[in-house]
Amino acid sequence: MNKFIAIVGSNSKKSTNREFLQYMQSHFQNQAEIELVEIKDLPLYKKSADKYVPELALDIAKRIEAADGVIIATPEYDHSIPAALSSALAWLSYGIHPFVDKPVMITGASYGSLGSSRAQAQLRQILDSPEIKARIMPSSEFLLGHSLQAFDENGDLKDKQLITQLDGLFKDFLQFVNISKQLNNANVVNKQKAAEFSWDKD
Amino acid sequence: MKLVGIAGSIADQSYNRTLLKFIAKHSQGIADIEVLDINAVPMFSQDDDQTNSEVIQNLSKKISDADGVIIATPEHNHTVPAALKNVIEWLSYEIHPFDGKPVMIVGASYHTQGSSRAQLHLRQILEAPGVNAIVLPGNEFLLGDVKTAFDENGDLKDKRTVNFLQTTLQKFIKFAKVINMIDKTSDYEDEDLSASNKTDTTVEGVDMNDENWLDKAAKKVNAVEGDTYVKLDSGLLTVNQINYLLKTTPIELTYVDENNQFIYYNRFLPTDKMLAKRTPAQVGDSLEAVHPGKERVIKHVKQVLNTLRNGETDLVSMPVPGNDADHHVMHYYKAMHDEEGNYKGVNEWAIDLKPIVNEYLKATGQKLVPDPDNKIDATSGASKKPTEAVETKPEVDATSGASEH
Repeated sequence: MNKFIAIVGSNSKKSTNREFLQYMQSHFQNQAEIELVEIKDLPLYKKSADKYVPELALDIAKRIEAADGVIIATPEYDHSIPAALSSALAWLSYGIHPFVDKPVMITGASYGSLGSSRAQAQLRQILDSPEIKARIMPSSEFLLGHSLQAFDENGDLKDKQLITQLDGLFKDFLQFVNISKQLNNANVVNKQKAAEFSWDKD
Repeated sequence: MKLVGIAGSIADQSYNRTLLKFIAKHSQGIADIEVLDINAVPMFSQDDDQTNSEVIQNLSKKISDADGVIIATPEHNHTVPAALKNVIEWLSYEIHPFDGKPVMIVGASYHTQGSSRAQLHLRQILEAPGVNAIVLPGNEFLLGDVKTAFDENGDLKDKRTVNFLQTTLQKFIKFAKVINMIDKTSDYEDEDLSASNKTDTTVEGVDMNDENWLDKAAKKVNAVEGDTYVKLDSGLLTVNQINYLLKTTPIELTYVDENNQFIYYNRFLPTDKMLAKRTPAQVGDSLEAVHPGKERVIKHVKQVLNTLRNGETDLVSMPVPGNDADHHVMHYYKAMHDEEGNYKGVNEWAIDLKPIVNEYLKATGQKLVPDPDNKIDATSGASKKPTEAVETKPEVDATSGASEH
């Protein structure tokens, strides 16, 4: 069974993105093992002369390295991903490169009707940057709008149509992960390129 | 024009900060640019709202007070640094200092891209409804290959780049003027007569409306008094001497600061003899407290203050109601500004012009007669035209003075 790391893209105690990932975790428990990872205890990303990376980031990187894929659920703050998530991704590409060629599925929940669509579009570009170079599942989008009303008291999604869509997407993601495992010829070079990316000064 | 610059980096060394400092240095004379520091801003979290912390309030105030903002962004992971996004999140959560604010984006990076993608993301972020900044369209300034771009003094080496930057900056200054004009509220209702917004000279920790505000506030700021010298812009006087001078100035003077707090009047007459009645206990009051419950007066005060604050005029003058043949009391409200042109409050003075007119008539051998062409209703208020016309008496030689006879 595939093992996935699910990153909660919010540092709030109450987060519908966390609720959503918890739903995925239980809903797909027969198809994959999903482990939730929190970013809320990471400090704000800062470059330093000695390229210090916090222990916690190193630990998350290790877990991502070992996983078959990553699921990210992002809220949307000001048309983009939260600074907390942006900061976490910066730590996770600062001299360490766990995301290179790693299959990633992007999801997101928002209180309004748009379901974090702009944040997800930016996240796609971010994950595509040379320092991260993740393998983002193409042509897929899962937007959970009106997320405060989306779950029932058991934490399950109420909208049957949304569940059908999510089931389909997750199946595709499993396929994508399998295909990705065979697309590894450039992996060594890709890792090296990411490592060579210059970070010394803003 | 007053601008603030934000370098979107908290790294110890930052080319984008260097770029901003260069812009600040290079624009002396056309704009005053203060580069803000975002290093101490905590991580944004809805669970731990630090909107009221000093660092965020300070940034917010600097941005609110500025005519425009220049943001220099590096690029991390194809986007703006988390530290920059973090600041914008704080400044779009409970407070919105960017709302309607003209913003120019610049950026520097190592490679040929010059932060192009980060700048596009930043545009989207600044357009978000919670931020609602007005970003200068076009005029992208991308500084690529930044490692070799500056000389040892932090100056850009390439002349064409400097010229381009200069042109862009000039366009931004025009843009900011236009945007600020569009955005400027002419709604006098916004004038806060309760003086709750405080300004840099507001004495905190003392109730404004306290009867002993003067003594308490003076103690709080360790105000000098008596024979202590005060250096003025064209003289050196002791506090006592300043008092002597003001108390013998035969015009009732009142100082209202930019926060609409009444902080001084030159008490040379007892209250009941004053044209515009003031009491020592009122000193320090908010304008609201000075005009309790007078709806119509308050509306008028707000209109006058707003006109002066917005710079529509520097002087509002009006005769007070109830003038008669023996009195023509005028109130003048003059906007005060600091060296940089920032509004600093109102110098209000009240004076009876009739004794002066009488003196003039006596000295020149003239008298007042009604003007047959008069179109002014002399009894109504706020008129900028004189309410009485002076006509020369033909039988007196008005051109020669008494000493020449």
